[in-house]
Amino acid sequence: MSMPTKIPEFIWGRKYPKITIDLTKCTVPFLCKKCLQICPEAVLYVNRVITLEKKLEEMDPRIDGNYVMGAARRDKCTGCNLCIEVCPVNAIKIEIAPMERLRVQGKGEQWSK
Amino acid sequence: MCFLCEQFGDQKYGDGLWYLNPTNYARNMYKLRAPGETAKGAEAGLETGVRSGPSIQDLLNAIENNDKEGFEKMRQTMQETGQGSMVVPLADADKVLELCSPIGLESCICRKADRARDERNEHEYTCMGMGVGMLKWERWPERYKGGVKFVNIEEAKEWNHEMDARGFVHILMLFGAPYIGGFCQCDYPDCGALRNGVDFGLQVLKSHYLAKVDYAQCNGCGICAQRCQWGALKFETTSGKANIDMFKCFGCGLCHTACPRQAISLVRRETVPAVAEVWL
Repeated sequence: MSMPTKIPEFIWGRKYPKITIDLTKCTVPFLCKKCLQICPEAVLYVNRVITLEKKLEEMDPRIDGNYVMGAARRDKCTGCNLCIEVCPVNAIKIEIAPMERLRVQGKGEQWSK
Repeated sequence: MCFLCEQFGDQKYGDGLWYLNPTNYARNMYKLRAPGETAKGAEAGLETGVRSGPSIQDLLNAIENNDKEGFEKMRQTMQETGQGSMVVPLADADKVLELCSPIGLESCICRKADRARDERNEHEYTCMGMGVGMLKWERWPERYKGGVKFVNIEEAKEWNHEMDARGFVHILMLFGAPYIGGFCQCDYPDCGALRNGVDFGLQVLKSHYLAKVDYAQCNGCGICAQRCQWGALKFETTSGKANIDMFKCFGCGLCHTACPRQAISLVRRETVPAVAEVWL
């Protein structure tokens, strides 16, 4: 009942959407959070930058570069463009390969002769 | 019986359910770290930034690279060493809260990451931490922004009932079974644990119960259908009543607590043979 039994053969080798976030433009994601809250599939995530020096210190979300964004669940991205439209600094880029049309492999066997 | 019950359960307490066995809440379950020892488990990632095991990202990469063996290996590792969790219905949640101490309300780390929710006070907190691990919250200021609100058993129960009414699933968080570290209040899609369970069949163990509809009582009001987070319960148009897919049901009991006519009951998983041993 777990996942591997559920993965159909045609899923293997499929290319999931590539989501890149320009961190030079997106500097205060935890404060802005527009894309994070609009995504219907909650694909994106935000996390503070973990460094050995700062370890467990509290981070101020208002300071540039304290938090970074990424796409944790890119398998769920539909390419609906809501996050791109809402982003005030145009930092999000999504690349989706055109989907191959699914076809039944082989000719199949005759049920009865 | 799940494998945790076999290992940690006791027939004398709570019908052999492992999380109702009081010995699992004993003080010595929590291992203190000796000075100089490196961090382990949940703490390791937070302190050093090094991941302790494979993540969902690695699974996706394996699918993209057509790496079936690697995928299965990583899935196994995540299943065995990952922090497991178990769904618990509200009635059992009350019993769990009576056993553990201390109990603290805190900000939810999943909602912080997925929806950038900044929960800073006790009215906003949507997560419950349990056990002696809570006492070291001051060492993690970034994790426990706004502090921790310690509550007594009655307050904790009341809070849990409130969260149930709002429609959150109660999930016991295990930091190395059978040590219970928290009581997550989850919904789809912004909870990490629940999401791994629904999307990937990983880490979340189903509860010891299943929801069953009494069709004579159900009048098809549809209140339960709004609350199912697992995609198991739906409103069946043909019969005009609730319909539960028991293969998908995680036994969280949200439909059971919401039903105004008590038409949905929770039955033990053992009584339904086809799904009796389906825990993932």
